[in-house]
Amino acid sequence: MNTALLPIIIPLAGAAALLLFSGRRQAWAAIVVMALSALSGALLLAHTAAGPLSLRMGGWPLPIGIAVVADPLSAFFVFSSQIIFTLGFVYALGSKDACVRKPIFFPLYLTLAAGLNGAFLAGDVFNLFVFTELLVISGAALTALSDDPRGTEASLKYFLLSLAASGFLLMAAGLFYASVGTLNFADLARSPNEVRGPGFLWALALLTAFFATKSAVVPFHFWQPDFHTAAPTPVHAVLSSVVVKLGVYGFFRLTLLFPDQAGPLRQGLLVLGATGALLGGMGAAGTNDLKRMLAYSTLGQIGFITVAIGWGTPESITAGLLFAFHHSFIKSSLLMLAGAVASRAGTKGADFSNLAGLGRASPRAGILFLLAGAALAGIPPTNGFWGKFGIFRAGWEVHGTWGLLALAIAGGITLIYTARAYLRVWGPDVPATAKSAGDRLWAPFVLVGFCILMGIWPGPVWELADRTARWILDPTLYIQGVFP
Amino acid sequence: MNVLTPVTIGLLLGLGVHQILQRDPLRLFVGFILWSNALNLFLLAMGSRTGQFAPYSGNPAPTSDPVPQALILTAIVISLGGLMFLLTLLRRLADRHGQGDLDKAQDLRR
Repeated sequence: MNTALLPIIIPLAGAAALLLFSGRRQAWAAIVVMALSALSGALLLAHTAAGPLSLRMGGWPLPIGIAVVADPLSAFFVFSSQIIFTLGFVYALGSKDACVRKPIFFPLYLTLAAGLNGAFLAGDVFNLFVFTELLVISGAALTALSDDPRGTEASLKYFLLSLAASGFLLMAAGLFYASVGTLNFADLARSPNEVRGPGFLWALALLTAFFATKSAVVPFHFWQPDFHTAAPTPVHAVLSSVVVKLGVYGFFRLTLLFPDQAGPLRQGLLVLGATGALLGGMGAAGTNDLKRMLAYSTLGQIGFITVAIGWGTPESITAGLLFAFHHSFIKSSLLMLAGAVASRAGTKGADFSNLAGLGRASPRAGILFLLAGAALAGIPPTNGFWGKFGIFRAGWEVHGTWGLLALAIAGGITLIYTARAYLRVWGPDVPATAKSAGDRLWAPFVLVGFCILMGIWPGPVWELADRTARWILDPTLYIQGVFP
Repeated sequence: MNVLTPVTIGLLLGLGVHQILQRDPLRLFVGFILWSNALNLFLLAMGSRTGQFAPYSGNPAPTSDPVPQALILTAIVISLGGLMFLLTLLRRLADRHGQGDLDKAQDLRR
């Protein structure tokens, strides 16, 4: 048994098995399955330290056979997403929402995890399509289940745009196949530059559009705030922190695997990322809904990572990876805290007018929110500082003046909107309509703990990001790993 | 390469996008059926890079590449599942906002 398959098989098999249970027992079983999956993610990280694990499904020779490739980059993203997913499950266990009691909730949550892992580990374009569809349908169904009555509408928006994005991916697959006769990423990367016709460039462009839709990079972001706001809190916490990282992963992959074509792509990512950082920040500062604010903030922070990928130096790649890792922890904890506070509201919804003063009832959530908010704004001694510090330093070294300026403004806006959210929610007195109990704070407590720990002791994650960056900067290593 | 295939793909895609942009939920649904079939036809056309005869053993060369056809099979199954899910969503939305006009679903606008 190859470790590369475990993060896909465990959640998938677990989802099927969970249909046999219901109620509390199902929730605990789901957490056990997810924890096993997280363990397999850690195992994967350890096994890929030396080089990629490549697996041919059914023993078919590559490039015709379906390849599952776990290289350090995939393992890095699988590992971080599995931790967040596990804590998302813990949050769902302590949630007061009605939708988490539905017997289909946890199986769908597990297929969401399986789809995400599969997409990270896919070794060819078509396999990427299959796992993304699994991810999309699970995510859309989970949001349609939401207690929020706007869930169906949000789900429809997301699903329509995702179908369009999948269409881009299929077109990219067709064009890749027509121009070089293969769909395997490693085989595509080793195809000589002379045989890549104009179709290859179009395919890369379509693939970029697909990844941009997945990550809600600026011109493709319209679904994101609506969809994420209406999702149930435990699902929102993973959607807005790790599921959006699929596109970021794709950008790392594309820019580093096709260095001959990466120039214009990097330029594009630089512009779109800077725009996204500004637009996301302004959207977050302008909205009147706490969950929506955090969804817009994801748009902005993804912009930071995209700009780092656009600079494309070893330092900026390291910093981008580091911030992607840290952002998962920060954003998911903030979302869980927002959801926990909103769960005490008399009426459903996360509008600031609805939440005003509710925080007073749970001062512990307030402390955690302040810490996580400081991390989002990049204030030491939290982990967010190191990621942003790395990005700014890398930008300084390449003299990326405009990008730096945009990011600095966006960073300032981040501080403004997190502070405003804190003052609006924790400032006024507790309203009379507040419920006495809300969602449990176990999961955000652990996540904020990690944020502080990684801020005080940034070494291990930094080393991991550095090692991963050094590995992916040489595309021949990936090709040799798949075709020894 | 015959002219009919690209023209058909273009027509299907164009009609599909046109229908998707209508307000009626059923037209949206039909639009996505057209769009996914256009993509399948596109993949099929890409298989003709090696030839245009059906890839049976015994057929004279040059036969077309069978890999895109295998891809289409998977794509059809996935799009069937996706379209059924879309139909469910549209049904729920129509129940909530009244039939026939998706522009009425504006709860999320603010």
